[in-house]
Amino acid sequence: MSSTVAQQLPDLVVGAEPVADAEASVAVEALRKRFGEAISGVRMDPVGTPVVTIEPARVHDALSFLKTDAAQSYDLLLDVMGADPGGEVVIQVWYQLWSMKHGHMLRLLALLPRANLSVQSAVDIYPAADWLEREVYDMYGVSFEGHPDLRRILMPENYDEGFPLRKDFPLRGRFTRSEQVRRALNRSTEDVYSREELALAGLLEGEPAAEASSGADEGEAKDYLAGEKMVINMGPQHPATHGVLRLVLQLDGETILRCIPHIGYLHTGFEKTCEYREWNQVVPYTDRMDYLAPMLYNIGYAGAVESLLGVEITPRCQVVRLIMSELNRLLGHLLWLGTGAMDVGATTVFLYTFQERERIYNLHEAYCGGRITTSVTRIGGMVADLPVGWLEACRELVNGLTATIDEAERLLTRNSIFQARLVDVGIIDAEKALEFGLTGPNLRASGIAYDVRKARPYLGYDEYDFDVPVGVVGDAYDRYLVRMEEMRQSIRILQQALDRVPDGPINVQDPAVILPDKSEAMSSIDAMISHFKLVMEGVQVPAGDVWYSIEATKGELGFGLIADGGPKPVRCRFRGPSFVNLAALPYLVEGGLVSDVIAANASIDIVLGEIDR
Amino acid sequence: MSDDRKRLPTVNAVGGDVDTGPPASWMITKVDAVVNWSRRNSLWPMPLGTACCAIEMMATAGSKFDIARFGAERFSFSPRQADLMIVAGRVTYKMAPILRRIWDQMPQPKWCISMGACASSGGMFDNYTIVQGIDQIIPVDVYVPGCPPRPESLLYALMMVQEKIKGESLANPVHREESPDAAGKQNLPPEAIELVAQPFGNSTRQNRISGVEGSSAVSRPRDRRERLLEHQD
Repeated sequence: MSSTVAQQLPDLVVGAEPVADAEASVAVEALRKRFGEAISGVRMDPVGTPVVTIEPARVHDALSFLKTDAAQSYDLLLDVMGADPGGEVVIQVWYQLWSMKHGHMLRLLALLPRANLSVQSAVDIYPAADWLEREVYDMYGVSFEGHPDLRRILMPENYDEGFPLRKDFPLRGRFTRSEQVRRALNRSTEDVYSREELALAGLLEGEPAAEASSGADEGEAKDYLAGEKMVINMGPQHPATHGVLRLVLQLDGETILRCIPHIGYLHTGFEKTCEYREWNQVVPYTDRMDYLAPMLYNIGYAGAVESLLGVEITPRCQVVRLIMSELNRLLGHLLWLGTGAMDVGATTVFLYTFQERERIYNLHEAYCGGRITTSVTRIGGMVADLPVGWLEACRELVNGLTATIDEAERLLTRNSIFQARLVDVGIIDAEKALEFGLTGPNLRASGIAYDVRKARPYLGYDEYDFDVPVGVVGDAYDRYLVRMEEMRQSIRILQQALDRVPDGPINVQDPAVILPDKSEAMSSIDAMISHFKLVMEGVQVPAGDVWYSIEATKGELGFGLIADGGPKPVRCRFRGPSFVNLAALPYLVEGGLVSDVIAANASIDIVLGEIDR
Repeated sequence: MSDDRKRLPTVNAVGGDVDTGPPASWMITKVDAVVNWSRRNSLWPMPLGTACCAIEMMATAGSKFDIARFGAERFSFSPRQADLMIVAGRVTYKMAPILRRIWDQMPQPKWCISMGACASSGGMFDNYTIVQGIDQIIPVDVYVPGCPPRPESLLYALMMVQEKIKGESLANPVHREESPDAAGKQNLPPEAIELVAQPFGNSTRQNRISGVEGSSAVSRPRDRRERLLEHQD
C-alpha cells in the first residue's frame, strides 16, 4: 500500500495563546475596522472565545471576510445554533468558527428580531452550514435566505405543530397524544419525501419525471434499460445504517447518481427536555445521546457547566475523567470496528470486540453500577470515588487490549476482501473535509492533524505523551487505519494516566456546587443547610453563555449553553459530531456503487442518537 | 396415560403395517406440543433497534450472553422472515408509521418484546417527539424494564415469550389474531392513549391501570389491551 505512506507529515494544529481581552483579538480588531457600526457588542466567553455581536444583515459579509482574509482564515465552521432566550424580543443565531492556521476560535452572534426571523445563508461560504442551518430552521423557524434546500430536517417534512425549541412551544407538543399518534400513522407521501425526491421519482404533480429517458433507443433490446433510473429507499430500518438513518438513492444500475439522507427518525427532543431539567439532572440525558461512548458526553457536559461556573475540578477528578474518556474512546472505536467489519462481511471481529467491550462494561459497572447509561459526572466532580481495586482491574484490561487490537488487525488490515471493500472508497480530501466541517478521525484521515486534545487541551491532555495519527488519501481504508492507531494511542494515554492518579478528594470542596458528605450533613448545621439548598434548588449557574468542546470518539463534541442565573439551562445545545460528519455522506458515495454506501457509511462512524438528538 | 391407550394399534407411516406397540423411533404427542416446541425454540427476532437498548441487544447476541442458547440468534433483518419483534430503543412519532408497517409485514404467528423504558412508556422522554409506549401502535407481549435493560433481562423476556408460546393452541388462535383492518392503525383507542399519556402519566398512572399481579414467566400478566378495556367498563 504505497499510497498510505506519508511523504510529509502535516503540521499538528495547535491553539494560540488565549488573549486576555476580547478587544485584543486579531479578528475582533479587523471586524471592528471593517464593519464598524454593524458590531454592537464584543465580549469574552468563559473559555476565552471572543464573541462578536453583529447586525444580521452583515453576517454573511463577515463570515465571508473571516474565511477569506489571510490574517483570519477561519476555515472550519464548527457550529450554527439557534437560541431562544425567552421574552418577546429576539432569537439568537450563533456561528462558531475555528481557524486551523492560527488556532483561534471566534463566535459571531446575530440577534434576529421576532418580527423578521431571516438571515442570509452561509452555505455558499461554508457547505457545512447546510444541515446546521436546516436544523435552526426546523427548531426555531429562522429562514436562511439563499439556502438551496431549506426544509425540515429532524421533524417530519410537513410537521405542523410549530417550531419545537421556541420557548412558547410546550414540551409535550401542541396536540393531544392521541392526535399525535393518529397524525403519525396517517402520513402522506409528501410528508416523507422532499420535493426533489418526488421529482426524481416522477411523482410531482404537473411536472414530468426529471430526465425522462430519450425515446431514440426504444425497441432495441440491449439498450432497454440504458438510462433507466430507479429511486430506492435504504432505511430507516436497515441493518447497515447503524440505527434509523434513511437514505433515498437514485440509481443508474448499480451506480449512485444521487443520495439524499433523511434523519430525525430518532429525534428525541434532548435539547428541549434539558431546558426543563436542573443542571445536574441533564447529566443522565447526555449519555443517552452517544450510547457507544457514554461517559465522554457526561464529561464534556460537566466541563462545559464548570467553565460557566468558574469551578476548577480537583487533580484526582481530572485524571479519573481522563481515564474514563480514553476508556470510552476505546469503547466507541471497538463498536465501530465490530459493526464496521460486519457491514463489509467480517462477522468474527464483532464477537472479538464485543468481548472486549464487555470487559470495559464490567469496569463501568464496578465504578457506577451501570453498563451503558453511566451518568458518572456531577457538576464539580464525579458521582463517587473509584472503588478499591478498580485501577488495578483497569490496568489489567488496558494491558490486554493491545492483543485484541492486534488480533483484529491480523484479521482485517491486510485481508484482501476487506481492502477491496474499503480502499479508494468514499474519498474526501483535506480541503473538502474542512468545507463539510468534518472533525475527529474522519478529518484526520484526510490529512489534517486537528485533535481538540492537542489544539485546546482540557483535562490536562497536554501533559501526556501521545501521537495524532493522520491519513493520506482520505478513503474508508484510511479512516479505518486512523481509528486503529487511535486505539493504540488511547492505550498509551491510559498507561500513563493509571500511573499518576493523585490522592485527594474527587469532588471540589464547594458547598454551592457539590453535596456535602452524608455524615457531615447529619452532624453540621452548615452542611445540612447547603445539602438542603442543593437538593431543593439545584446548582445555581451564573448568567452567561459558553461554547465548550471536547474530542469525542466521532469528532468534536460541542456544548452550547446559556444560563440565566437560575437552576435550569436556558439553552442546552449539543453539537453532535456525527451530525456534521453525516452531511458529507452524499459527497462520499455519489458516483460509487450501492455496496460502497455501506462501507462509506460504516467508515464515517455515526451514531444516530447524537445526530437526531 | 391409561392402559387402554397403550394397547391401541399404531400405524407405521412407511409400510402401512399394523404394529401392536410403538417402536423406539416413534413418539406420540399433541400437534400443539410439537408446533409450540419448534416455534419457541427457533424464534427469529426482527431487531428494531433504535437507540441505547440496541447496543444491549447486540451485547445479548455477543459471545458472553449468547442468545443462540435460546435458538434466537438468527436475527432477521427482513420482517417477512421473522416472528419476534424486539423494539429496542425510543420510538418517535416520525418512526411510528415505519414500526407499524414492519409489524404488519411480519407473518403470523408473531410476538413482540418492548425492550426498555422508552419503548414501553416513553421513559424519561415525556416530550413532543417520543411515542409514550409502543403499545399505542402495536400489540406487545412482554415489556422489559430498564434503561437500558441488561442482556439478562432481555433473555428473561425471551424466556417469557417462550413460556407464552407453550400455552398456545392451534385450535384457539384468538389471542394471536389481528383483523386485517388493523393494518396501519393504532393499537389502542384514542381514549386509552389519553389515559396513559397525561403529563407524568406514564410514571404514576400506568401501574395503577395495569394492576400487574405477578410477572413471573409462569403467571403471565394478561394482555394489557384487555386490561385497559376492562378498566374502562
